Amino acid sequence: MRSSLLILGFCALCIVPAAASEDLVSGLSQDTVEITSNYTGTDIVVFGAIEHLDDSGVHDVIVVVRGPDADITVRKKDRVVGIWLNRDQAKLQDMPTYYYLASTRALSDIATPDTLKRYGIGLSNLKPERVFSHHDPEPFRLALIRHKEQDGLYGEAPAAVEFLSPALFRVHVPVPATVTRGQYNAEVYLFRDGNVISAQSTPLFIDQTGLERRLYNLAHDSPLLYGLSAVLMAAVLGWLSSVVFRRAN
Amino acid sequence: MEIYLPIAEMSVHWLVILGMGAAIGFLSGLFGVGGGFLLTPLLIFYGVPASVAVATTASHITASSISGAIAQWRRRALDIKMGTVMAAGGLVGTVFGVWLFGVMRRSGQMDLVVAASYVVLLGTVGGLMLRESLGVLRAVQRAASVPVHRPGQHLWLHGLPVKMRFRESRLYISVIPPIAIGFFVGVLSAIMGVGGGFVVVPAMIYLLRMPTNVVMGTSLFQIIIVTAATTILQATSNFAVDIVLALFLILGGVIGAQLGVRAGERLRGEQLRMLLALLVLAVAGRLLFGLVIEPDELYSVATAQ
Repeated sequence: MRSSLLILGFCALCIVPAAASEDLVSGLSQDTVEITSNYTGTDIVVFGAIEHLDDSGVHDVIVVVRGPDADITVRKKDRVVGIWLNRDQAKLQDMPTYYYLASTRALSDIATPDTLKRYGIGLSNLKPERVFSHHDPEPFRLALIRHKEQDGLYGEAPAAVEFLSPALFRVHVPVPATVTRGQYNAEVYLFRDGNVISAQSTPLFIDQTGLERRLYNLAHDSPLLYGLSAVLMAAVLGWLSSVVFRRAN
Repeated sequence: MEIYLPIAEMSVHWLVILGMGAAIGFLSGLFGVGGGFLLTPLLIFYGVPASVAVATTASHITASSISGAIAQWRRRALDIKMGTVMAAGGLVGTVFGVWLFGVMRRSGQMDLVVAASYVVLLGTVGGLMLRESLGVLRAVQRAASVPVHRPGQHLWLHGLPVKMRFRESRLYISVIPPIAIGFFVGVLSAIMGVGGGFVVVPAMIYLLRMPTNVVMGTSLFQIIIVTAATTILQATSNFAVDIVLALFLILGGVIGAQLGVRAGERLRGEQLRMLLALLVLAVAGRLLFGLVIEPDELYSVATAQ
């Protein structure tokens, strides 16, 4: 098994021509983020290298980390007889629950709007799969991005890609405590003179572990038992406290 | 130290949660109310999702009410028979309320309905209590004797059929009013995440004409049963009870409740009622303000699970 892998690896090396075009290798500091009882958010590092770097031409790197898609409903308040209440709404299908973009420069300096749009890069190109609404969805989409930015779940950071050498780069990606569990993807794009010449995608898993995981599973798998435990816990603690306080007097 | 809440999917500082629990527990012991009408908005303000806040508050109220009820029971200030009759109506109300909760959430008007019912209920109850307690206080200052409870004084409500004797309350009345009050409070418990003490206490005093000294204990007893049922129903139908959040709220709450009962012994009934009325009115005012003032952000976001 090991020898066959070795041969495979060797052949892969053979295929790469001597005067190869530029290519991208990238990786993550960790491929799982475990949410434990003292989890308050963390940073993951996306790093990479440009192979066969050709110094002619302008190189840029864009790193996008995006989280599980969900259907998100955005509602707009309106004044009705003096009271502010939800009137219009739009359901945006398959929007990422987390989106972080880091680049070497401002996106508009890296590539044309058309190129960015084609690859779906940037918050302005973050579009839902479908929209269910009787109204123009654009204000609702912008409101969603505004909300997510405030919560630290959406972000664009121009100039956040650090170059350690002309070919070696890294990005610190903040993962706040409020992230959704599930599969994430780290996408790395290599631009040269405004065109994508290489791209790579690496999965990342965020999940609860230990006691948190067991409690979450219990709540969903045996909700009646979970509910009864919550009541029992409340009853025991309530009774205990009155016993303790009676002794204290 | 920050702790991670597995159901709310967020991390919170444990001291903040413990402090909230203690403050609400203190009020619970002091006034004989669960304190949910303060705790639910407080948790939502801290960033806990509304559904988790409503559901978890119920289990917190169970614990602090048990703690408070035991303390009241030792003082023989608890009418178990009356509490049981009211809780029977409360259980039916809870089931109906959890169903209503789902209907309103699907229509997207949950926030409005919750806020508006808080304003109407708290405003009415708080206003009535304030007027009554101020009247009594003024009368006391004029050194006049005030008949707060006259045995044998009956309302037409008491004349309804199916009469029952409640010895601790010194009442012989129809069971229909207590069951109806219990039902109404059960609905509130499911929709607003409250125990309903702020409705039960005045209803016992002004509608059922129960003696003030057994009102606190009996309302706590009834609240225990209704909130325990709410916790289980919310856990099974909405998966919204966060047991870690509940643990820290309860730890603070039970301690606060004991201190509250002791503090309550040093205050007179009408003073207590006036303080509770002011608190209830303040919360109603704050919520009304939120409904009529133009919000900074017109858009709100809800993620489907």
